[in-house]
Amino acid sequence: MSEQYEVEFIERGDREATFLVRGVTPAFANGVRRAMLADVPTLSIDEVRVVENSSVMFDEQIGLRLGLVPLTTPRDEFSEGETVTLALDVEGPGTAYSGDLVSSDDLVSPAEENVPIIDLKEGQRLEIEADAVMDTGKEHAKHQGGVAVGYRHLQRIEVVGDNEAFEQDDPRIVRGVIEAEGELVPAESFGNDLTNRYEGKEVEVHDVPNAFVFDVETDGSMSVDDLVLAAVDSIGDRADELAAAVQL
Amino acid sequence: MDLRVITNERTELEIEIAGEDHTFMNVLKSALLETDGVVAATYDMNPEQSGGQTEPILSIKTEEGTAPLDALEVAADEVQEQSDAFHSAFEAAA
Repeated sequence: MSEQYEVEFIERGDREATFLVRGVTPAFANGVRRAMLADVPTLSIDEVRVVENSSVMFDEQIGLRLGLVPLTTPRDEFSEGETVTLALDVEGPGTAYSGDLVSSDDLVSPAEENVPIIDLKEGQRLEIEADAVMDTGKEHAKHQGGVAVGYRHLQRIEVVGDNEAFEQDDPRIVRGVIEAEGELVPAESFGNDLTNRYEGKEVEVHDVPNAFVFDVETDGSMSVDDLVLAAVDSIGDRADELAAAVQL
Repeated sequence: MDLRVITNERTELEIEIAGEDHTFMNVLKSALLETDGVVAATYDMNPEQSGGQTEPILSIKTEEGTAPLDALEVAADEVQEQSDAFHSAFEAAA
Protein backbone atom coordinates (compact mmCIF):
# COMPACT_ATOMS: atom_id res chain seq x y z
CA MET A 1 0.00 0.00 0.00
CA SER A 2 2.74 2.46 0.86
CA GLU A 3 3.87 4.35 -2.18
CA GLN A 4 7.41 4.92 -3.26
CA TYR A 5 8.87 7.78 -1.28
CA GLU A 6 11.23 10.17 -2.94
CA VAL A 7 13.05 13.08 -1.39
CA GLU A 8 14.75 15.82 -3.35
CA PHE A 9 16.52 18.84 -1.92
CA ILE A 10 15.88 22.22 -3.48
CA GLU A 11 17.90 24.21 -0.99
CA ARG A 12 20.07 22.70 1.61
CA GLY A 13 21.80 24.28 4.54
CA ASP A 14 22.62 23.20 8.04
CA ARG A 15 19.89 25.21 9.72
CA GLU A 16 17.60 25.90 6.80
CA ALA A 17 16.45 23.67 4.00
CA THR A 18 13.75 23.22 1.40
CA PHE A 19 13.01 19.75 0.16
CA LEU A 20 10.36 17.94 -1.81
CA VAL A 21 8.83 14.68 -0.64
CA ARG A 22 6.80 12.58 -3.04
CA GLY A 23 4.47 9.76 -2.06
CA VAL A 24 3.61 11.11 1.36
CA THR A 25 -0.02 11.32 2.52
CA PRO A 26 -1.29 14.72 3.67
CA ALA A 27 -1.86 13.32 7.16
CA PHE A 28 1.67 12.01 7.41
CA ALA A 29 3.14 15.27 6.11
CA ASN A 30 1.26 17.14 8.82
CA GLY A 31 2.28 14.59 11.41
CA VAL A 32 5.92 15.17 10.56
CA ARG A 33 5.47 18.94 10.71
CA ARG A 34 3.78 18.77 14.09
CA ALA A 35 6.37 16.33 15.42
CA MET A 36 9.18 18.68 14.37
CA LEU A 37 7.61 21.49 16.37
CA ALA A 38 6.36 19.74 19.45
CA ASP A 39 7.84 16.27 19.82
CA VAL A 40 11.56 16.46 19.09
CA PRO A 41 13.30 17.15 22.39
CA THR A 42 16.10 19.70 22.74
CA LEU A 43 18.18 20.93 25.64
CA SER A 44 17.23 24.21 27.21
CA ILE A 45 18.01 25.90 30.51
CA ASP A 46 15.22 25.17 32.94
CA GLU A 47 16.62 25.76 36.39
CA VAL A 48 18.92 28.54 37.49
CA ARG A 49 20.83 28.82 40.74
CA VAL A 50 21.74 32.44 41.27
CA VAL A 51 25.02 33.08 43.05
CA GLU A 52 24.97 36.80 42.49
CA ASN A 53 22.62 38.96 40.53
CA SER A 54 23.23 42.64 41.08
CA SER A 55 21.91 43.52 37.63
CA VAL A 56 18.79 45.60 37.11
CA MET A 57 16.65 42.55 36.36
CA PHE A 58 14.93 40.05 38.60
CA ASP A 59 16.32 36.52 38.76
CA GLU A 60 13.17 35.21 37.05
CA GLN A 61 13.60 37.51 34.06
CA ILE A 62 17.22 36.44 33.68
CA GLY A 63 16.03 32.83 33.97
CA LEU A 64 13.55 33.26 31.14
CA ARG A 65 16.18 34.83 28.90
CA LEU A 66 18.63 32.02 29.63
CA GLY A 67 15.95 29.47 28.81
CA LEU A 68 15.45 30.95 25.37
CA VAL A 69 19.11 30.51 24.39
CA PRO A 70 19.27 27.58 21.97
CA LEU A 71 21.79 24.92 22.99
CA THR A 72 23.34 22.40 20.63
CA THR A 73 21.73 19.04 21.19
CA PRO A 74 23.60 16.15 19.57
CA ARG A 75 21.35 13.41 18.26
CA ASP A 76 20.94 10.26 20.35
CA GLU A 77 23.25 11.48 23.10
CA PHE A 78 20.62 12.57 25.59
CA SER A 79 17.26 11.19 26.57
CA GLU A 80 14.30 13.20 27.78
CA GLY A 81 14.74 14.49 31.30
CA GLU A 82 18.55 14.36 31.28
CA THR A 83 20.34 17.50 32.38
CA VAL A 84 23.57 19.33 31.60
CA THR A 85 25.00 22.01 33.84
CA LEU A 86 26.16 25.38 32.54
CA ALA A 87 27.63 28.37 34.28
CA LEU A 88 27.86 32.08 33.59
CA ASP A 89 29.96 34.69 35.35
CA VAL A 90 30.14 38.19 33.94
CA GLU A 91 31.06 41.43 35.65
CA GLY A 92 30.13 44.89 34.45
CA PRO A 93 30.65 47.14 32.71
CA GLY A 94 29.75 45.07 29.69
CA THR A 95 27.09 42.81 28.29
CA ALA A 96 26.56 39.20 29.26
CA TYR A 97 26.13 37.20 26.07
CA SER A 98 24.99 33.64 25.52
CA GLY A 99 28.55 32.95 24.40
CA ASP A 100 29.70 33.57 27.97
CA LEU A 101 27.90 30.42 29.10
CA VAL A 102 30.35 27.69 30.00
CA SER A 103 29.09 24.16 29.59
CA SER A 104 30.16 21.14 31.61
CA ASP A 105 29.68 18.96 28.52
CA ASP A 106 31.72 19.49 25.35
CA LEU A 107 28.80 18.31 23.21
CA VAL A 108 26.55 21.05 24.51
CA SER A 109 27.17 24.73 23.88
CA PRO A 110 25.12 27.79 22.96
CA ALA A 111 24.12 27.52 19.29
CA GLU A 112 24.29 31.28 19.05
CA GLU A 113 27.14 33.21 20.65
CA ASN A 114 25.65 36.67 20.40
CA VAL A 115 22.35 36.53 22.23
CA PRO A 116 22.49 39.39 24.73
CA ILE A 117 21.34 38.36 28.17
CA ILE A 118 21.77 41.59 30.04
CA ASP A 119 23.71 44.81 29.95
CA LEU A 120 25.73 45.22 33.13
CA LYS A 121 26.87 48.58 34.45
CA GLU A 122 29.90 49.33 36.59
CA GLY A 123 29.84 47.21 39.74
CA GLN A 124 27.03 44.94 38.61
CA ARG A 125 27.63 41.24 38.35
CA LEU A 126 25.78 38.16 37.20
CA GLU A 127 26.96 34.79 38.38
CA ILE A 128 24.74 31.78 37.95
CA GLU A 129 24.76 28.05 37.56
CA ALA A 130 22.04 26.53 35.40
CA ASP A 131 20.67 23.13 34.53
CA ALA A 132 19.64 22.57 30.95
CA VAL A 133 17.05 19.82 30.64
CA MET A 134 16.06 17.74 27.64
CA ASP A 135 12.38 18.25 26.91
CA THR A 136 9.91 18.78 24.08
CA GLY A 137 8.25 21.80 22.51
CA LYS A 138 4.97 20.51 23.87
CA GLU A 139 6.23 21.33 27.35
CA HIS A 140 7.67 24.75 26.58
CA ALA A 141 8.41 26.60 23.33
CA LYS A 142 12.05 27.02 24.39
CA HIS A 143 12.50 23.31 23.70
CA GLN A 144 11.24 23.67 20.14
CA GLY A 145 13.96 22.57 17.71
CA GLY A 146 12.13 23.75 14.60
CA VAL A 147 11.33 27.44 14.58
CA ALA A 148 9.79 27.79 11.13
CA VAL A 149 8.44 24.57 9.75
CA GLY A 150 5.85 24.29 7.05
CA TYR A 151 4.93 22.62 3.82
CA ARG A 152 2.88 23.29 0.73
CA HIS A 153 1.76 21.33 -2.27
CA LEU A 154 4.08 21.05 -5.21
CA GLN A 155 2.36 22.77 -8.13
CA ARG A 156 2.60 21.62 -11.70
CA ILE A 157 2.39 24.23 -14.44
CA GLU A 158 0.88 23.31 -17.75
CA VAL A 159 0.91 25.53 -20.81
CA VAL A 160 -2.47 25.08 -22.46
CA GLY A 161 -2.26 27.67 -25.22
CA ASP A 162 -1.56 31.25 -26.15
CA ASN A 163 -3.30 34.26 -24.74
CA GLU A 164 -5.50 36.10 -27.18
CA ALA A 165 -3.89 39.07 -28.87
CA PHE A 166 -3.93 42.31 -26.85
CA GLU A 167 -5.28 40.48 -23.83
CA GLN A 168 -4.33 42.09 -20.54
CA ASP A 169 -1.66 40.07 -18.80
CA ASP A 170 -2.76 39.99 -15.17
CA PRO A 171 -0.14 38.82 -12.71
CA ARG A 172 -0.45 35.18 -11.75
CA ILE A 173 1.23 34.74 -8.39
CA VAL A 174 2.50 31.39 -7.17
CA ARG A 175 4.60 30.58 -4.13
CA GLY A 176 6.93 27.82 -3.12
CA VAL A 177 8.19 25.49 -5.79
CA ILE A 178 6.70 24.66 -9.15
CA GLU A 179 7.19 21.73 -11.43
CA ALA A 180 7.51 22.85 -15.02
CA GLU A 181 8.81 20.89 -17.99
CA GLY A 182 9.83 18.14 -15.57
CA GLU A 183 12.02 20.43 -13.51
CA LEU A 184 11.68 21.89 -10.04
CA VAL A 185 11.80 25.66 -10.09
CA PRO A 186 11.61 27.88 -6.98
CA ALA A 187 8.92 30.48 -7.62
CA GLU A 188 11.28 33.23 -6.41
CA SER A 189 13.41 32.71 -9.51
CA PHE A 190 10.75 34.39 -11.67
CA GLY A 191 9.46 36.86 -9.13
CA ASN A 192 6.61 34.54 -8.07
CA ASP A 193 4.69 35.67 -11.15
CA LEU A 194 3.94 33.09 -13.81
CA THR A 195 3.40 35.76 -16.45
CA ASN A 196 7.13 36.53 -16.23
CA ARG A 197 8.00 32.95 -17.06
CA TYR A 198 5.27 32.29 -19.60
CA GLU A 199 4.73 35.58 -21.38
CA GLY A 200 1.65 35.55 -23.57
CA LYS A 201 0.82 31.95 -22.68
CA GLU A 202 -2.24 30.56 -21.03
CA VAL A 203 -1.23 28.31 -18.15
CA GLU A 204 -2.98 26.01 -15.74
CA VAL A 205 -1.75 25.32 -12.19
CA HIS A 206 -2.44 21.97 -10.56
CA ASP A 207 -1.47 20.61 -7.16
CA VAL A 208 0.57 17.44 -7.52
CA PRO A 209 -1.09 14.80 -5.34
CA ASN A 210 0.99 13.54 -2.40
CA ALA A 211 3.94 15.76 -3.25
CA PHE A 212 4.85 18.29 -0.58
CA VAL A 213 7.56 20.88 -0.40
CA PHE A 214 8.80 21.26 3.16
CA ASP A 215 10.45 24.40 4.46
CA VAL A 216 12.37 23.70 7.62
CA GLU A 217 14.37 26.09 9.74
CA THR A 218 15.88 25.10 13.08
CA ASP A 219 17.04 27.23 15.99
CA GLY A 220 20.53 25.78 15.68
CA SER A 221 20.14 23.20 18.41
CA MET A 222 20.34 20.55 15.69
CA SER A 223 20.69 20.31 11.93
CA VAL A 224 17.70 20.13 9.63
CA ASP A 225 18.55 16.52 8.85
CA ASP A 226 18.57 15.52 12.51
CA LEU A 227 15.33 17.34 13.17
CA VAL A 228 13.44 15.77 10.27
CA LEU A 229 14.72 12.29 10.98
CA ALA A 230 13.98 12.56 14.68
CA ALA A 231 10.43 13.73 13.90
CA VAL A 232 9.81 10.91 11.44
CA ASP A 233 11.22 8.37 13.88
CA SER A 234 9.06 9.66 16.72
CA ILE A 235 5.95 8.87 14.66
CA GLY A 236 7.33 5.46 13.72
CA ASP A 237 8.14 4.70 17.35
CA ARG A 238 4.61 5.51 18.43
CA ALA A 239 3.18 3.26 15.73
CA ASP A 240 5.54 0.54 16.93
CA GLU A 241 4.38 0.99 20.49
CA LEU A 242 0.74 0.88 19.44
CA ALA A 243 1.20 -2.26 17.34
CA ALA A 244 2.92 -3.96 20.29
CA ALA A 245 0.19 -2.86 22.71
CA VAL A 246 -2.59 -4.06 20.43
CA GLN A 247 -1.05 -7.49 20.06
CA LEU A 248 -1.31 -8.12 23.78
CA MET B 1 0.88 5.23 25.43
CA ASP B 2 -1.83 3.65 27.57
CA LEU B 3 -4.69 1.88 25.88
CA ARG B 4 -8.11 1.54 27.43
CA VAL B 5 -10.81 -0.29 25.53
CA ILE B 6 -14.23 1.32 25.95
CA THR B 7 -16.30 -0.88 23.64
CA ASN B 8 -15.11 -3.88 21.73
CA GLU B 9 -17.66 -5.62 19.56
CA ARG B 10 -17.43 -7.76 16.47
CA THR B 11 -17.29 -4.84 14.05
CA GLU B 12 -16.94 -1.87 16.35
CA LEU B 13 -14.19 -0.64 18.59
CA GLU B 14 -13.77 2.38 20.80
CA ILE B 15 -10.40 2.76 22.42
CA GLU B 16 -8.74 5.51 24.41
CA ILE B 17 -5.13 6.12 23.49
CA ALA B 18 -3.80 8.12 26.41
CA GLY B 19 -0.85 10.43 25.95
CA GLU B 20 -1.29 10.99 22.24
CA ASP B 21 -2.51 14.06 20.37
CA HIS B 22 -3.45 15.09 16.83
CA THR B 23 0.13 14.52 15.65
CA PHE B 24 -0.19 10.77 15.83
CA MET B 25 -3.98 10.25 15.89
CA ASN B 26 -4.56 11.94 12.55
CA VAL B 27 -1.80 9.92 10.90
CA LEU B 28 -3.28 6.75 12.38
CA LYS B 29 -6.80 7.67 11.34
CA SER B 30 -5.75 8.31 7.77
CA ALA B 31 -3.94 4.94 7.68
CA LEU B 32 -7.03 3.22 9.08
CA LEU B 33 -9.24 4.71 6.38
CA GLU B 34 -6.93 3.16 3.79
CA THR B 35 -7.01 -0.24 5.49
CA ASP B 36 -9.02 -3.05 3.92
CA GLY B 37 -12.21 -3.91 5.75
CA VAL B 38 -12.51 -0.60 7.56
CA VAL B 39 -15.82 1.17 6.99
CA ALA B 40 -15.28 4.16 9.23
CA ALA B 41 -12.55 5.49 11.46
CA THR B 42 -12.28 8.68 13.42
CA TYR B 43 -10.99 10.06 16.66
CA ASP B 44 -12.36 12.53 19.13
CA MET B 45 -10.22 14.78 21.24
CA ASN B 46 -11.14 17.62 23.54
CA PRO B 47 -9.02 20.55 24.64
CA GLU B 48 -7.50 20.54 28.09
CA GLN B 49 -9.75 23.36 29.25
CA SER B 50 -12.90 21.34 28.53
CA GLY B 51 -12.44 19.54 31.83
CA GLY B 52 -13.90 16.31 30.51
CA GLN B 53 -12.43 13.53 28.41
CA THR B 54 -9.23 15.03 27.09
CA GLU B 55 -7.42 11.92 25.92
CA PRO B 56 -8.18 10.94 22.31
CA ILE B 57 -10.74 8.22 21.69
CA LEU B 58 -10.36 6.26 18.51
CA SER B 59 -13.50 4.74 16.97
CA ILE B 60 -13.35 2.09 14.27
CA LYS B 61 -16.15 0.39 12.38
CA THR B 62 -15.30 -2.55 10.18
CA GLU B 63 -16.98 -4.81 7.68
CA GLU B 64 -18.28 -8.19 8.78
CA GLY B 65 -15.32 -10.56 8.97
CA THR B 66 -12.69 -8.00 9.96
CA ALA B 67 -11.92 -7.61 13.63
CA PRO B 68 -11.39 -3.93 14.42
CA LEU B 69 -8.39 -4.68 16.61
CA ASP B 70 -6.74 -6.50 13.71
CA ALA B 71 -7.43 -3.52 11.45
CA LEU B 72 -5.83 -1.26 14.07
CA GLU B 73 -2.75 -3.43 14.10
CA VAL B 74 -2.52 -3.38 10.30
CA ALA B 75 -2.84 0.41 10.30
CA ALA B 76 -0.18 0.80 13.00
CA ASP B 77 2.18 -1.35 10.94
CA GLU B 78 1.38 0.77 7.90
CA VAL B 79 2.27 3.99 9.74
CA GLN B 80 5.49 2.34 10.84
CA GLU B 81 6.29 1.40 7.25
CA GLN B 82 5.55 4.92 6.06
CA SER B 83 7.88 6.33 8.67
CA ASP B 84 10.65 3.89 7.73
CA ALA B 85 10.18 4.68 4.04
CA PHE B 86 10.32 8.42 4.73
CA HIS B 87 13.41 7.97 6.88
CA SER B 88 15.35 5.98 4.29
CA ALA B 89 14.24 8.20 1.39
CA PHE B 90 15.38 11.28 3.33
CA GLU B 91 18.71 9.73 4.22
CA ALA B 92 19.24 8.67 0.61
CA ALA B 93 18.73 12.26 -0.55
CA ALA B 94 20.74 13.83 2.28
